[in-house]
Amino acid sequence: MKRKLIASAAIAAAVALTLAGCSGGAGAPTSSDGKTVLSVSVWSMAKTPEFGALINAFEAANPDITVQPVDIAAADYSTKITTVLAGGDSTDVIGMKAIQDFTKLSGEGALLDISDLVTADTSAKVTGLDSYKVDNKYYALPYRWDSWVLFYNKDIFDAAGQPYPTTLTWPQYVDLAKKVTSGDGDSKIWGTFQVTWPTIVQNIAAVQTGKDFLGGDYSFMKDQYNVSLDLQKSGAMMDYSTSTSTKAGYAPLFTTGKAAMVPIGSWMISGIQQAMKDGTGTIKNWGIAPMPQIPGATSVTTMGTPTGFAVNKNAKNVDAAKKFVAFTSSAAGAQALAAVGNSPAYQDAASTATLFSLPGMPTDAESKTALSPDKAVLDTPQAPTTAAIVQIGTDEHQLIMAGQTSLDDGLKEMGDRANSEVLNK
Amino acid sequence: MTASPPTIRHPKITAPQFTTPQLSKERALSARRRARRTALIGWSFILPNFAGFALFTLIPVVACFFIAFTQWDAYNPPVLVGVNNFTRLLGDSNFWISVRNTAYYAFGHIPLTLAIALGLALLLNRALRGIGIFRTALFFPYLTSLVAVAIVFNLLFAPDNGPINQILNSVGIANPPRWTASTEWAMPTVIITSVWRDMGYYMILFLAGLQTIPREYYEAAEVDGANAWQRFRNITLPSLRPTTYFVLILLTISSFKVFDLIQVMTEGGPGRATLVLSQLIYRDGIVQGDYGYASAMSLALFVIVLSFTIVQFKLSERGNK
Amino acid sequence: MSTTTQELAVKMIDVDNPLAATVKREPAYRPARRGRKSPLRVIFMYVFLTALVLVLLIPFGWMLSSSLKRNTEVFAVPIQWIPTSFQWNNYVDIWTTIPLLTYLKNSATLTLSITFLQLLTGSFAAYGFSKVKFKGRDVLFVSYIATIAIPWQAYMIPQYIMMQKLHLTNTLMALILLQAFSAFGVFLMRQFYLSIPDELVEAARIDGLNEYRIWARIMLPLSKPALASLALLTFVATWNDYMGPFIYLTSNDLWTVQIGLQSFVGQYANDAALLMTGSVISIIPIFIIFLLGQRYFIAGIATSGLKG
Repeated sequence: MKRKLIASAAIAAAVALTLAGCSGGAGAPTSSDGKTVLSVSVWSMAKTPEFGALINAFEAANPDITVQPVDIAAADYSTKITTVLAGGDSTDVIGMKAIQDFTKLSGEGALLDISDLVTADTSAKVTGLDSYKVDNKYYALPYRWDSWVLFYNKDIFDAAGQPYPTTLTWPQYVDLAKKVTSGDGDSKIWGTFQVTWPTIVQNIAAVQTGKDFLGGDYSFMKDQYNVSLDLQKSGAMMDYSTSTSTKAGYAPLFTTGKAAMVPIGSWMISGIQQAMKDGTGTIKNWGIAPMPQIPGATSVTTMGTPTGFAVNKNAKNVDAAKKFVAFTSSAAGAQALAAVGNSPAYQDAASTATLFSLPGMPTDAESKTALSPDKAVLDTPQAPTTAAIVQIGTDEHQLIMAGQTSLDDGLKEMGDRANSEVLNK
Repeated sequence: MTASPPTIRHPKITAPQFTTPQLSKERALSARRRARRTALIGWSFILPNFAGFALFTLIPVVACFFIAFTQWDAYNPPVLVGVNNFTRLLGDSNFWISVRNTAYYAFGHIPLTLAIALGLALLLNRALRGIGIFRTALFFPYLTSLVAVAIVFNLLFAPDNGPINQILNSVGIANPPRWTASTEWAMPTVIITSVWRDMGYYMILFLAGLQTIPREYYEAAEVDGANAWQRFRNITLPSLRPTTYFVLILLTISSFKVFDLIQVMTEGGPGRATLVLSQLIYRDGIVQGDYGYASAMSLALFVIVLSFTIVQFKLSERGNK
Repeated sequence: MSTTTQELAVKMIDVDNPLAATVKREPAYRPARRGRKSPLRVIFMYVFLTALVLVLLIPFGWMLSSSLKRNTEVFAVPIQWIPTSFQWNNYVDIWTTIPLLTYLKNSATLTLSITFLQLLTGSFAAYGFSKVKFKGRDVLFVSYIATIAIPWQAYMIPQYIMMQKLHLTNTLMALILLQAFSAFGVFLMRQFYLSIPDELVEAARIDGLNEYRIWARIMLPLSKPALASLALLTFVATWNDYMGPFIYLTSNDLWTVQIGLQSFVGQYANDAALLMTGSVISIIPIFIIFLLGQRYFIAGIATSGLKG
């Protein structure tokens, strides 16, 4: 009996081996019905509705092309892209999830020059185009451009008897956050919630003060750090250690009415849409205000985050690939993106109207203008030194926010490390 | 060199008087033939595994050693830079901090896991009804998804309202550690979590090892009037030596290249308090595209682990004799 | 002398005959008989073990409870141990939200193939490393083990490039070839074989058995506990592996359970509840394997031991 068991296990394994050998295989450039098959690398497709929307719209406009998405887990997207491109992979279009991916890949020469796609219309209407410009050549086009704004829950402000935020200064923002904070334990409503990433302190400070994030002197971040430290000390904001240890998410906190304000990129709109759709969100009235400004600012300056597509240098279908990339940052692509709650990089009245006509969207004029700030600067300046400096910034940010070092020491250490480890000063 | 027969080299010691030179030569020849035959048999056993291993693991590893002497972005052809990457290592504070942290982790994780796993194996190696359920339960931490482990332990150890600190508060400890939020306590927290996760795994290995100890040894010892401690000391421990050595090497290697758990729990933070070598290799190589430098770091890690392995191997082989 | 050893070997193998298997097995060693007779001690043991297990299983309990929660409740602060309303439909929905059945099938294909090859080649090589003495053996062995010391992140790109050149990427075969011949299995089996007395092998040699037969007829049957542990540990490692399949398998229809679970993790938001549901489901096969393998951890060679 036992021998039989072992024998059947061996047979099962042999069958499994054969199965393993047969399955799989590379995608052919054309499908059986003669259509061009275009492969496009995307991340977490099930959780990112924009890809489905873009692909459907593109296929409808180009009946001779079938798009084959290559779905990759968002968290490890760049690891996989780096590895497969090193192996000479020929996926046609590569999604640029983070600007750092673009910097690395364009620096290696893995992307195709697609400057010919930049028309007069594109340069006039597409925001964030220059994020992908290297030596006056474009190696990717943005399809989304998310500027950082201040989301707020109107009902919480009404209940607290406070006016809705407009263009605030950072000190005004702190005061307001303290005023709308209420409750304890389960009924706690935070005045504001800030992400644990250093971006919300370090990069916004650099963008708004005009100082150099890659320069090696970080004393200019002091005021911005005092904003966050003051907020967490006063209990108007969940403190850093709790946020990290509970992995608190800004979108759930906002959509369940636990946070009165959230300064974040406009991508949260699609998160709110999603939460309303699947019934996990309870928020009813919300609005968008411009990002708070440093005292004395005369216009609204904020950060912008681009998301784009590039063409692989080893692409099999270069023409179709270019067509796809151009489509995603065109008026038609913008419509498709806006319809699922995204802020398209191609900005025109039609897509803005579509975005704000989605159910549950704020209807006030202020919210609409907040999405078009006077100036939105790429959140992290790109250079060969960027990745290492961002890492140092993250290290010191954790220490400062968790109270493991004093603010002055932390900023000094950040500068010292940047100078000695990266800038060789 | 043609191997001269041992009788000629050490005539005083080994040459039996009745052996003619002719005969001893033949004997040496057949000994060599026998040795070659044995080697052939040995290799035939090893080859099926070794071929697959060499082709798919050894070659890439050797490639990694070569890359350590180049500058490579994982895309364009590598450029030879000699020992530049290694001289750069010497002055890299991130490298030294991560070496220190890795050693800290290893010296905490190895003895604790070894002792607890052995303790559990001894505890569960008995004829109790339903013992299988307990063994299964102890293996569960290793099966629980790493993401869930990270979430739960972070919640349990949350500095302000986590259950652990609440308990510590209630027993009169006014300022309990801030665990993963503090540079001092982050590593102990990670070690506690990893010991919890791994102990069931090594317990299984010890349980398998305990099965090899003949019961007669114990019966004889009992007849001789040995108490429980003496039996453990004189029978269990020596008989478990191959298993212990195996567990020790595995633990050493897995501790020195720890990655997943730290990545999901602290990502090396706060600051660089839990930054370990594998993470730095991943960051510099894959995230920042400095693959040559990252390979040099792996080579350094390899040398560290290899020296530990050789010491442990020598000690174990000596113990076997 | 040779006859006694043969008898010995036969006796050892004999334990595994079908008849013997039905006899209730006892563990290798029972602690002092005096202790076993005291019911108070047994009760104390149970209480102690139960308490220990409950404490150890807290995170698993949280995972189980979260798998029955609404998504928003998973990260509730303070920690919520019991769902406010049990979402049993999570266990139904997950099969349609992702093609879980396909993923389970792929995971099973990989895991079975790799475990089988690992056991076969590992125990074979281990015999060479432990019972056949030849020049350079120990050096080879140490170098074998030392390569385990290189973190995968360090050589994953060269390895991928090589597999791409062999046109094996995006096939399950790639992962089987990468993981079936690990040094781990060889190491585990070698350590076990070392504990089997050399005299036994010597005697078999004198009786005229060649090395391959000794491996098949004597070593394999004797090493069931080790084979069982190796099978279990390889099974778990392969089943839970995420990074390997993630890098090598691109087509969605080749994905394993662990990659599939990642689709609940988005760039900005997670389906934490379904992620936990999937994690619980993915444990079930390992749990079954473990229960099936249980008896091998109890009944080893030592039940017959070297008595004779």
